[in-house]
Amino acid sequence: MRQHEIDGGARKALFSPVDNRARVDAVVRRIGDAIELGLLADGEQLPGESELAGQLGVSTVTLREALMALRQQGLVTTRRGRGGGSFVSLPEVPADDRLKARLRGWSTEELRDLGDHWAALSGAAARLAAQRTEPDDLRPLRRTAQELARAGDAAARSRLYGRFHVELAAAAQSARLTREQIALQGEIGALLCLVLASDEYREEVADRHRSVISAVQDGAHETAGTLAERCVRESTARLVAIRLTL
Amino acid sequence: MGVRPGLATLATDPEAWVAAQVGGALEAVFEAVAATRAETAALLNRVAAAGRRPASADLAALRPGLHLRLAREELVSGAGFVAAPGLLADVPAWLEWWQSGADGDVRPLLLDLDPGHSAYSDYTHWDWFTLPRDTGRRAVAGPYVDYLCSDEYSLTLSEPVLFRGRFAGVAAADVYLRHFEAAVLPLLLRLPGPARLVNARGRVAASADPAHLAGSLTRGPDFGELLTEGRPGTYDGLRLVPCRGVPLVLVLA
Repeated sequence: MRQHEIDGGARKALFSPVDNRARVDAVVRRIGDAIELGLLADGEQLPGESELAGQLGVSTVTLREALMALRQQGLVTTRRGRGGGSFVSLPEVPADDRLKARLRGWSTEELRDLGDHWAALSGAAARLAAQRTEPDDLRPLRRTAQELARAGDAAARSRLYGRFHVELAAAAQSARLTREQIALQGEIGALLCLVLASDEYREEVADRHRSVISAVQDGAHETAGTLAERCVRESTARLVAIRLTL
Repeated sequence: MGVRPGLATLATDPEAWVAAQVGGALEAVFEAVAATRAETAALLNRVAAAGRRPASADLAALRPGLHLRLAREELVSGAGFVAAPGLLADVPAWLEWWQSGADGDVRPLLLDLDPGHSAYSDYTHWDWFTLPRDTGRRAVAGPYVDYLCSDEYSLTLSEPVLFRGRFAGVAAADVYLRHFEAAVLPLLLRLPGPARLVNARGRVAASADPAHLAGSLTRGPDFGELLTEGRPGTYDGLRLVPCRGVPLVLVLA
C-alpha cells in the first residue's frame, strides 16, 4: 500500500542534504540504513542519479561512488537499458551480520558523540514536555510504549523506539527539536535493531519509556529529563559494547 | 455584559472586536475546508452513481480545487482530503494532500502508509482526524508539531466528509503557527494590556504577552466550558473572551 515512491517522516530525513567531508560515506550510510530499516523495500527502484544527487545535496560523481560502494555491499543492483536503473536488493546474509558490518563503519568516538547528541535532544524535550504537557498530549507516547512492549521484530521495535522520541519532542511543542530528532533517528535507527533484538532489553526500554511518561505527566521536569537521557545513554552504551567486539 | 460582535468596534468594545476579527480570519480557512468537503462528497457520489467503489485515482479530481485554495488563501499551507481507512477500493488508507512550499510551489505529500515500513502509517489517532469523526462537527486541532506532514508547528482545521450518511474521512487545511501569528498579532497589539489566544485545552496559540508565549499552557480556567457557553468570563484577574465560531479564547492579563 505504498502511496508513492518516497514517504515523509523518517524518509524525509533520508533525503535531506548531506553536508560532510565524508560525503560518499554519509550517502552510503544513509541509503544503507534506509534499506536495513525497510524504508526502502527490496526491489524498489531508487530515483534517477541526478534526481537522487539533487535530493541528497551531493554531486552526481559523489553519488556514483556511493552507489558503487552499495553495489559492493550487495545492497543495490544496477540494470542498464530500458526499464533500467538502481534497485534495492537485500542480500541473503542474515540481517544481524549486515547490521554489524554497518556498525563497523562507526568509531566508538562517533557513537559516543551520536549518543551525546541524542541525550541532549531527548533530555531537553522531556524537560520541556513536562512543563508544557496536558494529559491528552501523552496519548501518542502511551500508545507507542504499549506497541513497543508487543512489537515482534527488531526493525519494528527500532521504529517504535524512534517514534517515542519524536513524539516526546512534539510534546515539548518544539518543531526544531522534532526535526532534529527525526534526522537523528534516520542515523541511529538501523543500528538500534542490534540492541533491540533481545526481548529482555525491549522490556527494559518499554519500562524506561513508561517512567519518562509518568515523570512528564507529574510535571517533574528534571526527573523526566534525567530518565530520558539515561534511557538513550544505555542504548548507546550497548551499541558501543557490540562495536568493541567487532 | 453580552457580546454583540457584529456591533463591537475597536473604539466601543476592543476585546469583542478583536475576538470577532480572529474568528473571521479562521472562518476564511474554514470556507476553504468546506469547499474541499463539498467537492469530495460530490466526487464520491458521482463515482457511486457510476456503480463503482471510489479508488485513490478518483481523488486526483480534487487537485485543481486544492491548488486553487492553496494559491488563494494566504493562511493555508496544506490542504486536502484524508480518507477513512476502508473507504477506497484499491488502498487501505490514503491522503490526497498538497502543500505549498516556501518558493510558492504546490507539491503533493508523499507518505509511506505501509505499517511494515513506517511507524507513522496510522493517521487515525491525530486530533484533526478524531475530532470531526467523533463529534460530526468541524474542529481546530493544535497548536501541535505536525511530524506527519510538514514538521511545522501548526493549526489544522478539519471537517467530516460524509458519504451515504457515513463518515468517509476529513477535509482539512493546515495553518502554520507563524502565519497565524502574523495575521492575529497586529490585532492583539491593539488591545491596551497583554493579550493571548489559547485553545480549549489552555495551549497558547498566539501571544502578545512575553510572559506567556505560544506553546505554553495557561492552567486554571476551564476553557472548554467557556467556549461551550460562548460568553466572556473572568478567572483570577484574567479576562476571558471566546472568539466567535472558533475554539479559541482571548485571554487578557
